Amino acid sequence: MAQLRMQGHRVLVADLTGDTVRAITGSMVAYEGKVAFKSAGMGGGDGFKAALKRKVTGESISLMEMSGTGTVYLAVDAQDITIVELTNDVMNVEASQLLALAGDLRTDVKFSGLRGATSGQGLFTTTVSGTGHVALLSAGGPLIALEVTPQYPLVADPDAFVAFRGALNQSFVTDVTWRSALGGGNGEAFSLRFDGQGVVYIQPEER
Amino acid sequence: MSIQIHTPASLPSNDNVPDNDYAFSIELAGTPWFTSKGAMIAYYGTVQFEPLSRTSLTGLVASQFSSPLYANDWVIAQGHGKLILGDRGFNINSYDLDDANLTIRASNLLAFEPGLALKQSIVPGFVTLLGTGKFLASSNGQVMFAEPPLRIDPQALVGWADCPSPSHHFDAGWMHNFLSAAAGFFGMASGEERQFDFTGAGTVLIQSSEKVIDDAHLLRHIESETQPLSQASLQQLHRSIGARLTQDGY
Repeated sequence: MAQLRMQGHRVLVADLTGDTVRAITGSMVAYEGKVAFKSAGMGGGDGFKAALKRKVTGESISLMEMSGTGTVYLAVDAQDITIVELTNDVMNVEASQLLALAGDLRTDVKFSGLRGATSGQGLFTTTVSGTGHVALLSAGGPLIALEVTPQYPLVADPDAFVAFRGALNQSFVTDVTWRSALGGGNGEAFSLRFDGQGVVYIQPEER
Repeated sequence: MSIQIHTPASLPSNDNVPDNDYAFSIELAGTPWFTSKGAMIAYYGTVQFEPLSRTSLTGLVASQFSSPLYANDWVIAQGHGKLILGDRGFNINSYDLDDANLTIRASNLLAFEPGLALKQSIVPGFVTLLGTGKFLASSNGQVMFAEPPLRIDPQALVGWADCPSPSHHFDAGWMHNFLSAAAGFFGMASGEERQFDFTGAGTVLIQSSEKVIDDAHLLRHIESETQPLSQASLQQLHRSIGARLTQDGY
């Protein structure tokens, strides 16, 4: 299986041994060896159905397939990168923060509940499921992983949300007090609340 | 390679999130905090955010928050839990004041304890904190501490403590050119001709970049300063701004 590893904390290295790694289009900064790059197609490489869903939902993700033998260096806007291992697991990711996928992973688009109409992020999130490595981007500093348990639900700013995994119920809270805490006018009119058991990943910078 | 997963218990009490200079964890345990709008990125527990105009703590706000100009940018957070703050990827540090005063750029101040009182500084875009308590400030890059006498680039200034408010200093060579040129001289700007001049005893906080977050605070300050101007002065201001906008090609 192709390996993902870090060089520093802002460059991701993919070691290809005759297999394929998918990464966000335009993230390749350098490569060595014989590597072919091609667009993974409209559905991010997951077939017509996923493509159609993306077309309809507007959740935008643009992945490229990198295959061959060699080493590829990936980076996006000097954002911090974190590699997360999935073992027969499902992760919900904000499409813009998904850098690369290696292993037996598939992506899909999932309806994630009713968001406020003000959000430019769409009503849908991208899901990654299977076994392999996922590289996440974090703007403004290192990614922060927060555990959620039934006793300790978490509330997060949708603009700082990156991903979550586990048996979590995500709900949209149009909480008046939270709304008053958000920045002047351009802030989201709702917050994300996570109940259940799992991990939520957030970034220090608000999109 | 795997990152630490935090729980409400493992998050620090009033310190940076471990290995993360860009996020800060405040522990709320009954006592309220003043926090700047938009700085909250997540929280655990039962926390309420109230705008200063609609809080139950009217007396606290009236006594500790003496700046109508900035009142809409702040909320009171109270309750029990852990609050995580972030500010556009700027470094976040906490500072303690012990019966002291410190003046800081308004857009760099993220939160403060109610033991501190906030007042608008005479210097546009800055606020002064007085009293005893903790506050959080963001900076673009690490903060350096320096002692007067010194001159610094206005954009690199985060704040100052104990010493008198700075005065403007203009480079002597630039002044010479300015005086010898025709009135209305605006060229020859290297961007470094104007500095803030600090004197006296105290500490100056400097960020390691000349990037200022935004000038919304400065704009509002200047707007409020135009209140006492007469009709004629306002028209004069209107003309000079109009002339500048035309010159800049708008």
